Amino acid sequence: MNPRRLYRRFASEVLVLPGRTTVLAVCLVLLILPLFHRHPYTLRVLSLTFIFAIFAASWDLLSGFVGQLSLGHAIFFGVAAYTSALLNLQAGLPPLVTIPAGALVAVLMGLVVGIPCLRLKGQYLSLATMGFPIILTGLVYLFSDLTGGELGVSGLARLGPTRLSEYYIALVLVLGLGLIMWKITDSKVGLVFHAIREDEITARASGINTPLYKLLAFCLSGFFAGISGGLYSHFMRVAGPSTLSVLTSFQPVIWTIFGGVASIYGAIAGTFVLYPLMEFLRVAPELRTLIFAALVVLVLRFMPEGLTPWFIDRVESECPRCKEHNAVTRRTCRVCGAPLGRPSAPGAGPFQPGKGGRVAG
Amino acid sequence: MTRKRWAALILVVTLLLTTFSVTGCGKAAAPKVIKIAVAGPMQFIQGQHHWLGAQMAAEEINKAGGVTVGNKKYNIELVQVDTNELLSVDDAASAVEKAITVNKVNAIIGTIRSEASMAIQEVAMDNKTIMMVCGASLPQMAEKVGKDYNRYKYWFRVTPVNATYLVKASMLLLNHVGGVFRKELGIQKPKVAAIIEKAVAGDPLAAAAAKLIPTFGMEFVGVWRPSPTATDLTAELTAIRKAGAQIIYTYFSATAGVPYAKQWGELQIPAASVGINVEAQAKGFMQATGNKGNYEYTLNTYAPVQITPKTLPFYEEFTKRAGQFPTYNAGTYDAIYIYKEAIERAKSLDPEAVVPELEKTNYLSAAGKIVFNKNHDVTWGPGYVTALGTQWQDGKLVAVWPNGWEGITYPGTVDYKLPPWVVSQWKKK
Repeated sequence: MNPRRLYRRFASEVLVLPGRTTVLAVCLVLLILPLFHRHPYTLRVLSLTFIFAIFAASWDLLSGFVGQLSLGHAIFFGVAAYTSALLNLQAGLPPLVTIPAGALVAVLMGLVVGIPCLRLKGQYLSLATMGFPIILTGLVYLFSDLTGGELGVSGLARLGPTRLSEYYIALVLVLGLGLIMWKITDSKVGLVFHAIREDEITARASGINTPLYKLLAFCLSGFFAGISGGLYSHFMRVAGPSTLSVLTSFQPVIWTIFGGVASIYGAIAGTFVLYPLMEFLRVAPELRTLIFAALVVLVLRFMPEGLTPWFIDRVESECPRCKEHNAVTRRTCRVCGAPLGRPSAPGAGPFQPGKGGRVAG
Repeated sequence: MTRKRWAALILVVTLLLTTFSVTGCGKAAAPKVIKIAVAGPMQFIQGQHHWLGAQMAAEEINKAGGVTVGNKKYNIELVQVDTNELLSVDDAASAVEKAITVNKVNAIIGTIRSEASMAIQEVAMDNKTIMMVCGASLPQMAEKVGKDYNRYKYWFRVTPVNATYLVKASMLLLNHVGGVFRKELGIQKPKVAAIIEKAVAGDPLAAAAAKLIPTFGMEFVGVWRPSPTATDLTAELTAIRKAGAQIIYTYFSATAGVPYAKQWGELQIPAASVGINVEAQAKGFMQATGNKGNYEYTLNTYAPVQITPKTLPFYEEFTKRAGQFPTYNAGTYDAIYIYKEAIERAKSLDPEAVVPELEKTNYLSAAGKIVFNKNHDVTWGPGYVTALGTQWQDGKLVAVWPNGWEGITYPGTVDYKLPPWVVSQWKKK
């Protein structure tokens, strides 16, 4: 394609919307950050942030988009972490093989969790999903000769030869997989996911095979959570029972709700803010958890839909005629030319299924 | 003010500033420091004991003139690292990496949870930083030193003796009680029941108890596995009474140790209780059991007994400051001294020079003589660290073992006492 046309398309798709421009700017900053600052501790915190952002986005894919509220998401993370670790230690396979293998086992686990949960809804589904990591933890302890029991397995191959390479591997994966997940939710499959969440009976009445799509959501979510689990085990060089803990299951829920549910980028943004924040709060170790919790509650008090919808409501407005998004500074819609008037009140804009939330334009 | 006066004033100020900057603001130059990270879950008792033990050692060393490395004097500066390891493994590893790369610590001491300790071990070894464990007991960490010496040589364990030896030592306590039964009650083959909490660490212990107890000339009547957090053990204790047990071999690492001891005393189960009950190591044990935990006998690390000349001063000072008895996590006290001696011998802070000196450690600590084995694990046995058997007698924690074992009796050790209701039940009329 002609470079000038390519740029024009890029400008009309990305640069016209402040939300997308911000995402682009953050990506560029992260890509060039090590040129100016490559302290191992900073790179460690950011690498873990990227890995957990994939995990949070995978939870959003299942629970935010399809409405299958999983409170046991650690099952996918943990099973992939253990699979990658054991394949690396026992079979000597490199992370390039073990991480995808772990993700595939997490896909199978998606079926194992998804099939018995097909008929469950709401809190019953949440409770059922919560049980699976507990069962797997029991198995980890039962087969402690293989899994290392409470100690876990350690001494795994590094994710990359240097901290810098690990940083870039994690960064490229969070950007790539984030984009893939966002495109899935922006596709026809994503539209079906929305339909199931909003009204499953109507979706079935419309001829949609909802059990199949729900299973697909479990498997897709399991795959991405599995990638993050494998990355985690090779980054930490340890896979232990903590990967299956209740805390591991709850963390993506907090990050996603903070960032904004049902958008993928909201889950990623939430993790990008909260995980480094928790590290920063080491300056007051005894008050760390308290300050963290207070900040989350306060932010959600004033941004009830999460951080990213709040931000987008302030920098973009929705065209009343064609529903496309525009920069808040525009007086007419960039697509249909309709007058835009005053920007809508924060949090008042309608949710746009199938368009990746409010940022879609 | 005239221009001349202004110029004079500026000159005086400039001179004063120059003088202060050269002399360090009129004070003597501060001594250099050796930074040691004390890593542990600081919101929990384990981390608090890590910190207090290390603090006591650092204060003593600095007061005595600091550390001499070559011809330079250093003070010890502790860096508190809250690992939050009981809740999050990645948090623990990040905290330690921060201490190494941001705070530039020379060594790390502490850690308690095995999984987190393994992750911390990887971070420390990546950075070639000396790590001295005072908490995690599983032997796998030490095995790594043997398997890949060049990578893991910076790792050492000061306390506790590793889990394999903890089992051996607890079996010795059982044998001790068996001997008292034979001698005082004339029962040659006492019946033993095992009550082992249903936790991972308890599984091999349950299997070992069934296999080993008959080899000690005792009869094994069965094993009971309550939850580690059980609040009512009446059913297990009643079944043990019905099985005719005369001794109960215990393993409680968690809270169930309190209701167990309380109900054992309340029900006056006619069987002496011995083994590992971590709750019975705490100062508040008698209060927690409503004074029913008297005669409970457990493996321990510290007690008011003279294992070495350092034990009692350390024990008393720690108890005074903390209001609690020191747990094995307070072994950071000895770890700091061991590190100090090693760097003084090495005349260097370079880990490559310090590791060979740490390997030569032969240090008389508050817990016994510390010598590292080839895997850098603390050596257990006669002449080294033996651990202690402590019993609650009349509301006081006293050391009752070793009492003649391999010729060892630490001054201050008293005789083990059978519970009176056990004696009255089994004494031949």
